[in-house]
Amino acid sequence: MGTPLLDVSNLTVAVGEGASAPRVLTDISFTLEPRGILGVIGGSGAGKSVLAKAIINWLESPLRVVTGKVMFEGRDILTMSDRETRLLRGKAIGYVGGNPSGALDPTMTVGAQIVEKLQAVEPGTSYRKAQERVVALLDAVRIPSSDQRFNEYPFQYSGGMMQRAMIVDALVSNPRLIVADSITQPLDVTVGAQILKLLRELRDEFDTSILFVSNSLPTVADVSDRVIVLDRGIAVEQQPTADLITSPRSAETRQLIDELPTLWAHDDRSRLKPASEDARPIMSVRDVSRNYALASRGLLNFGPKRILQAVRHVDFDIYEGENFGIVGESGCGKSTLTRLLTALEPPDTGQITFEGKDIFGRGKEGTRAFRRRMQLVLQDPYNSLPPRNSIGTIIGEPLVIHGLASRKERRSRVLEVMAEVGLPASLYEELPMVLTAGQRQRVNVGRALILEPRLMLMDETLSALGQTEQGQLLDLLEKLQAQHGVTYLYISHDIAMVRRVCARVAVMYLGEVVELAENETLFFNPGHPYSRALLSAAPTLESRRYRSEDCLLDGEPPSPIDLPSGCAFASRCPQAFDRCLIENPRLQSRGGLNRAACHLLDSENTVPKEVSA
Amino acid sequence: MHVGGGFIVFIVNFLIRRLAQGVIIVFLVSFLIFTLLRVIPGDPVRLMAGGMAPDHVIDQIAEDMGLRDPIPVQFVRYMGGVLQGDLGQSFIRPASGAAVGGASFDDNTRSERAEVFDLIADTAPFTLQLALLAMAFALIVALPVGIYGGLRPGKWPDRLALYMGSLFISLPNFWLGIVLALVLSVNLGWLPAIGYQGFAYTILPAIVLAVEIAPFLIRSLTVSVAQNMRENYISVAAIRGIGHRRIVMAHALKNASVPLLNLLGVQFSMLLGGVLVVEFIFDYPGLGLLTINAVLQRDFPLIQGIAIVTSAAFVVINIIVDLVATTIDPRLEY
Ligand SMILES: Nc1ncnc2c1ncn2[C@@H]1O[C@H](COP(=O)(O)OP(=O)(O)O)[C@@H](O)[C@H]1O
Ligand code: SF4
Ligand SMILES: [Mg+2]
Repeated sequence: MGTPLLDVSNLTVAVGEGASAPRVLTDISFTLEPRGILGVIGGSGAGKSVLAKAIINWLESPLRVVTGKVMFEGRDILTMSDRETRLLRGKAIGYVGGNPSGALDPTMTVGAQIVEKLQAVEPGTSYRKAQERVVALLDAVRIPSSDQRFNEYPFQYSGGMMQRAMIVDALVSNPRLIVADSITQPLDVTVGAQILKLLRELRDEFDTSILFVSNSLPTVADVSDRVIVLDRGIAVEQQPTADLITSPRSAETRQLIDELPTLWAHDDRSRLKPASEDARPIMSVRDVSRNYALASRGLLNFGPKRILQAVRHVDFDIYEGENFGIVGESGCGKSTLTRLLTALEPPDTGQITFEGKDIFGRGKEGTRAFRRRMQLVLQDPYNSLPPRNSIGTIIGEPLVIHGLASRKERRSRVLEVMAEVGLPASLYEELPMVLTAGQRQRVNVGRALILEPRLMLMDETLSALGQTEQGQLLDLLEKLQAQHGVTYLYISHDIAMVRRVCARVAVMYLGEVVELAENETLFFNPGHPYSRALLSAAPTLESRRYRSEDCLLDGEPPSPIDLPSGCAFASRCPQAFDRCLIENPRLQSRGGLNRAACHLLDSENTVPKEVSA
Repeated sequence: MHVGGGFIVFIVNFLIRRLAQGVIIVFLVSFLIFTLLRVIPGDPVRLMAGGMAPDHVIDQIAEDMGLRDPIPVQFVRYMGGVLQGDLGQSFIRPASGAAVGGASFDDNTRSERAEVFDLIADTAPFTLQLALLAMAFALIVALPVGIYGGLRPGKWPDRLALYMGSLFISLPNFWLGIVLALVLSVNLGWLPAIGYQGFAYTILPAIVLAVEIAPFLIRSLTVSVAQNMRENYISVAAIRGIGHRRIVMAHALKNASVPLLNLLGVQFSMLLGGVLVVEFIFDYPGLGLLTINAVLQRDFPLIQGIAIVTSAAFVVINIIVDLVATTIDPRLEY
């Protein structure tokens, strides 16, 4: 091979001035060949994003390069003038970050902004030419009706679509290198899998080299030829992907691999407790629907009101002491269902009962009492804690809200709970700033636990955590369950985590539960094509039971407004046939507690049969 | 959304909805003013006819003018006129010339009283001219100071914007008006100050008003420019290879213009409706002066007319501002 496209040598980055300034990257060296895809993996805080930014010379103070070179096509990026850097950035190197929302000006159409970028880095390109190129690329990344989407604003794009638009933005100038930092992290697994597929195609088609940064080993392994493992700023290992997985050399890599949850192989860390039909339901959801009326689009607001059907005929029981999971892509109605289950909103039709009583049936007082016995633990550990309150105050706040304890009792109660969730008592007076991501999540759990709830609803609670922290938190939750007999309801898009902890799982698509199955059934013999698509897209190092080529379809769910009749999944289902377009399949029993809604089940006799891998 | 017919449908829906709301607002304002004017003590007919007029004459005039009918009846009659563009006639002013309050009761020119509509139509352009000029002066100062302050938070341009705003806001307008008139007009003779005999007479009062509103514009600009410069899309734009100038001009300023626009709408409405003090100081023949005189003379039809016209102007300004803001930031449509 000739000269490498990118040659990073002895790169060291520190926070702040002086010789004793803490290092966030130490002596990093690697090369990236043309057409190569190099993966960078590491836990949160390992220095991945700093590395990605250093490569485009985007370190902002207090971050500072101490030593090292970043040679791109023979020239050191770190010593270039601002002007040269700018020409290189949009033109020869494209950067895509992990937060596509807010990456574009909200007041300009997506298309116009990509054209603007192309014209900025390639002056003299006519608008027409630029537009043609952008639309062609929007097509290439499978954005449906691309010429219409070209004229839409960022807020009209879903997260997955926006991420694809940002990839188009990076690609539009035919860069030799794309730096992709955590680009699949905010996406649903199905969309993430589509994006990975896209990256590989782009490399093949446009000869682009890619530096692919992620905290998920299966994701990195999926796309990369070689992988660098970062740990606290040090490159502990660097190998071709296949070798890294089969024969890791460093302890850190081995740990990363060992900690990975498995989907199909037996996992010693599985927390599964078998579901049983004789258990008592703690919460029953009976044929619950929720619609939102939108303003009509006609002249003078005449014409039919448009109805958004967010949750449709959802029906299930959650049994005392079990772990129940709800999975599905974003927009499938999980959040609306969460609001219904926590009595923030009443359903339009149907009934939700908790410990035998309708949660809306006993007026304000009843709802209040219910909210105490059912606690919501929120996602997003970085933003949900008030920054100016001490940790003790935050955990004790629910006691104040519900008027449950005197000031003195409160303190001892808070300390008790802090001990239970594994927070040292010394943190009582501290502000949330000092906490790690895992500790923040423990604060959230403690805050919920202090009211001694019977049911805890975990809304994406663990998805922002690294593997190690997630494992520790699951241990904690299990311990609490054993001590207090709490029931957990996990709402998540993380299939691997659900596999590990949830005895029963409801799969939602476009507001409906399309499959309700015990853990083993869902993973080994799913009854619905959509469940198979989800499984085929889940990141894993195992050989897959369901190949995404067979199960995963392009595109995204259709709009929940004005749903067509027939099966809602029909537009993306690889197995759809005539009947699916006319008649909506109903949930039917597949034996035991398992149910699924698909016409194909009519020909499958109700006895579950083994599906070959 | 803004593709093809969708935008037209949106505009038409928007205008119809907002105009309908506007009509209701103007109607309520009218009713409120109308009722208030009739329940406060003081008989305008006495003022009109003069202190010497005998009671039966007063009663006769009042009867003729319908002022003894129940208030709702009077209101309906009045609004019927308004709908046809008739705002009634001034109690006091003759069709030509100055106010004749206190004229003799048997003065037979009394029936030739001035149309409220004409009085307003004659004065409103002066106020409009004053408001526009004041706005222009304020923007000439506020735009560079505010934008530069927002681009350099914590640095001297930011502090300049802050100090300038605080200084302006602490100057009372009557004091500033008198000082400027003394210095620029009396001492230096550069600008005329009192009355109106040409465009130059608008400049001094406009400066005073500009000093009054500029601090709000500066503050809004520094805050929203600084805030937009911290947005993700601004730092990402640099990585995407877009030049700094363009980032500021085409993106940060565009986004910062929406709050400024809303503020301009509010300030402009205030200028149209209430430059009482400044017009009074400079004896500037605009709506403010007309209002003051109408109130002092208890010229009810004129007060009502001014209230209706200015509230209608507020409504229109508001609609324009919202329409422009929605065109700049289409998210507002949702
Ligand atoms: N702007 C910054 N100022 C100070 N420290 C920073 C900054 N950005 C990152 N760091 C520190 O550098 C380390 C690596 O961060 P990062 O590269 O974001 O990790 P990763 O992307 O692997 O999660 C962390 O300890 C983080 O706190
Ligand atoms: S009913 Fe038809 S379209 Fe729906 S999931 Fe089954 S096969 Fe696919
Ligand atoms: Mg990162």
